Formats: sequence, C-alpha cells, structure tokens
Amino acid sequence: MGVSEVFAEFGDVYLQSLLSTWLMTAVCFAGGLALGILATVLRVSPIKPLRVAGDIYVQLFRNIPTVSLLVIFVYALPYLGLMLSYRTCLLACVILVVSSFASENFMSGINAIGAGQIEAARSIGLSFVQIIRLIVIPQSLRTTVLPMTNLLIATLLTTAMGSQVPLTPPELTGMVNYVNSRSVAGISAFVLSAICYAGTSVVIGFLGNKLDEKVRIVR
Amino acid sequence: MSATVSMRDALYEAPGPKTRKRVLVGTAISLVLLALGIAFVIRQFYINDQLNPKYWSFFGRWTTWRFLLKGLWGTIKVAATAGVIAMALGLLLMLGRISPNKLLSSACHVITEIFRSLPSLLLIYFFFLVIPKYGIRMPSFWMITIPVSLAASGVLAEVFRAGVNAVPKGQVEAAMSLGMTHGKITRKIVLPQALKIVIPSLVSQLVVVVKDTTVAYVVSYPDLMQNARVLISNYDALVSMYFVVAIIYIAINYATNQFSVYLAHRMGTQVVSRMDENPV
Repeated sequence: MGVSEVFAEFGDVYLQSLLSTWLMTAVCFAGGLALGILATVLRVSPIKPLRVAGDIYVQLFRNIPTVSLLVIFVYALPYLGLMLSYRTCLLACVILVVSSFASENFMSGINAIGAGQIEAARSIGLSFVQIIRLIVIPQSLRTTVLPMTNLLIATLLTTAMGSQVPLTPPELTGMVNYVNSRSVAGISAFVLSAICYAGTSVVIGFLGNKLDEKVRIVR
Repeated sequence: MSATVSMRDALYEAPGPKTRKRVLVGTAISLVLLALGIAFVIRQFYINDQLNPKYWSFFGRWTTWRFLLKGLWGTIKVAATAGVIAMALGLLLMLGRISPNKLLSSACHVITEIFRSLPSLLLIYFFFLVIPKYGIRMPSFWMITIPVSLAASGVLAEVFRAGVNAVPKGQVEAAMSLGMTHGKITRKIVLPQALKIVIPSLVSQLVVVVKDTTVAYVVSYPDLMQNARVLISNYDALVSMYFVVAIIYIAINYATNQFSVYLAHRMGTQVVSRMDENPV
C-alpha cells in the first residue's frame, strides 16, 4: 500500500490521532510547566526540607525511564488502591517527567541571572517580592524560551509512550501498530506518522526561535 | 557576598530574629507535612497488603538478583553498542554538515533533524513491524539497538556541532592563513578540541540511551525491564518488582548524570543537552 492509499483508508483515524497527540502534548506541557514552577518554588525557598524535597522530586522524575513510570501507574497503582484510566496514567506520567525537566530549565534560568543583580536590587531598597517579580521572573523566563521550546518538542516525542497502552484514538506512534494490524501497509504508516512528528517539531522549533530572537537577553 | 554564593541563597538577605523564627516554624511544618506524605504512602502499601513478606522476601535470594543482573547486562550491552554507533554516526552527520559541499551539508542537516524529531519508539516500531514485512529478519538485539542509536545520533550530531562551535574562530582563520585545507583544519585543529569539550555531554546522553532501551520488551529482548516482567509472572509480585526496577534505573541514570557533571566541572566545560540546542 502506498502512502495515499493508507491515507484514503485510515485518513480519519490519522487526523484524530494527530489531533489527540497535539492535545496530549499541550496538556502535558502546560501541566508540566505548572508543576515545574511549583517544584522550582520549593527548590529556592528558604526552608531546607522543602528544598531537599524539591531536589529529590526533580532527580527522581528526571532519571526514571518513562516506561518504568508508566507501568507503575498502569499496573502497580491499582494494587495500592488507585485505579486510573489509561489516558490519565499516560498524562500523569508525562507531566511528572516534563515537570522535572521544566524545573531544571527554570533553575538554570535563575542561576544565569547572577547574584550581583540581586545585591544591586537590594541596595536600592527593593523588597523580596519586588526582586522576584521585577528581576528574577522576567529574566529567567526570557532565558528559558529556547530550552522550553526543546522541552515542548521532547514532550511531543514522550507522548509516543501512549503506544504502550490501549488508547482510542491511538496516538501517532500507536497508529503504526494500528494500521499494520489491519492491513499490509508496510512503510506507509510509518512515513505518515514520521511526517506528522517532524512537521510539528519544525513548526514548534520555528516559533520558538522567533520568540527567542525577540526576548533573548544578550549577556 | 562573593561570586561563589549560589543564586538560591543570594535571593535572601541574612535573616533577622523574626525571619529566623518564621523559617524555623516553616521548617517544622514542612517536616511534619513531608512525614505525613511518606506515612500515607507506606499506609497505602500496608492496607493493600503490599508489605507482606511474600512480595519482598525473594529479593533476598541470589537467583532473583542473578536473573535481574542478567537483564541489566542485556541493558548495558544494548546501551553501550547503541552509544558507540550513535557516536560514530553523529560524528559523521556533523562532519557532513560542516563540510563546504553544499549538497552533502544540507543532506546531513535534514537527516539530523529527522532523527532528532522522531520518537525512538516510532523508530523501534519501524524496525519491529515494518522491516520484517519486506522479508528482512534481524535478531531482537539489533531491532532495539539500531533504532535507539539512530534516535541518539541526531542529538549527538548537534552536541558535536556545539563542540565545534566552541572552538575559537580565530584558530580556524589562523590555520587558513597558513594554507591548511578544510579537511586538515578539521582533523588537526577543530576536532581534537571539540571532542574534548563534548565528553561530559556524551556521558550525559548515555542516560537518554539507557532510558530508550527500556522498551526492549516490545521486541522481546531480555533487558532489565523484560526480565523483571518474567520474574513478576514467576513470583506473582508486581508492585515490589516494578518499584525495585524503577529504583535501579534511577540509580544508574543519577550516577551517570553526576559523573557527567563531575567531568564537566573538572574540565571547565558545560554539559550540552537536548534542551540547550537550537530547536530546529
């Protein structure tokens, strides 16, 4: 079967799976950013146990393979009294993993500012909240545009783990399995999914680059 | 304050007596909350009978560990082979990309971008589902190793390029003014320095490779995860096994990351990861 025949037969499912992949990517990235901000707040707080907890959280989810986390969510948690749907498990796993990398990006954004600026801010009488609001957050956001763009692409690629659990509609990687188990599609199904992934990454990368050029701080 | 003060601490002034008291109260409250959280998790294990010795006692047997270590050896074999292939391929892609030949350069650019923008799982399905349909049979070892190395080679090509870019332009210009050719400059001046700069980044990329190998069960290759699944059906102990395996993976990856940070610190360079590159 050629690419066009596969598209004619499975076009609808492909469109659904592309949209579902995009939606999952968006949800996971947003959730990951939110949780990443929370972890970063813990990690820079003056309270030692919270810092340590934030550090441990990030190291755990940065180093665990997503499959390993996914099997715990899907197969182990029901034994511990928590039953979640396949999609919820997938979203939760990707969000946890993404949040740890997001926090690392935020931390390096904060570290790039330099202690001198904080000292200068304090010496002109800015309060702690003002320092955070006027100096730390704007600068660290602007330096993290490029890493966060890469994280968004990485999130897109991580949602491929959805192929390891039954999802309806399947996401783009699961589609290769879906099409191949229903017809002799050969390479076509793979090519279609690959085009969707590569195309999405190119668009995200292009937009991220444009945004970065606008806001980058030249140090 | 000196430049060695971390940003974490620089954010706060030296606390006065009132703040010190507040921090102390916060510390106490957060300790209690964290302890409650841990206690809740242990309670969930307990009330669901997951702390029952029958789920944990087999970890005291050598046969269990021998089988897990056999799986770990499988993981290491795949990761090491994939790492070497990815390095060679990544280096070739990067050399092609910086070559003065426009055609070769753009071809290598496109290949790099494609490998970087595909999930390794999709590539694994390609080798597992698609290639056999064309009558090509390969052992499961290569069905996991080749896709993992392809996915890593795209990222490594960019890591190598970052290393090349870090070599001062003046050196290349000086070499050109001496009449050296592009090949000679790359071989004698740029590569030796660039390769040294990227060593910590190469080590940290191993973490990604190890993570990618965990889906080896898709092609039924006996790696750590696959062997753990076998043990789960033997001992009927799912929860404990999946948690122990996760901890093993975390420990390996954490150690690898720390080693790369240590190398970077010692060599005075930075670790380049996927996050620091140009997105496309």
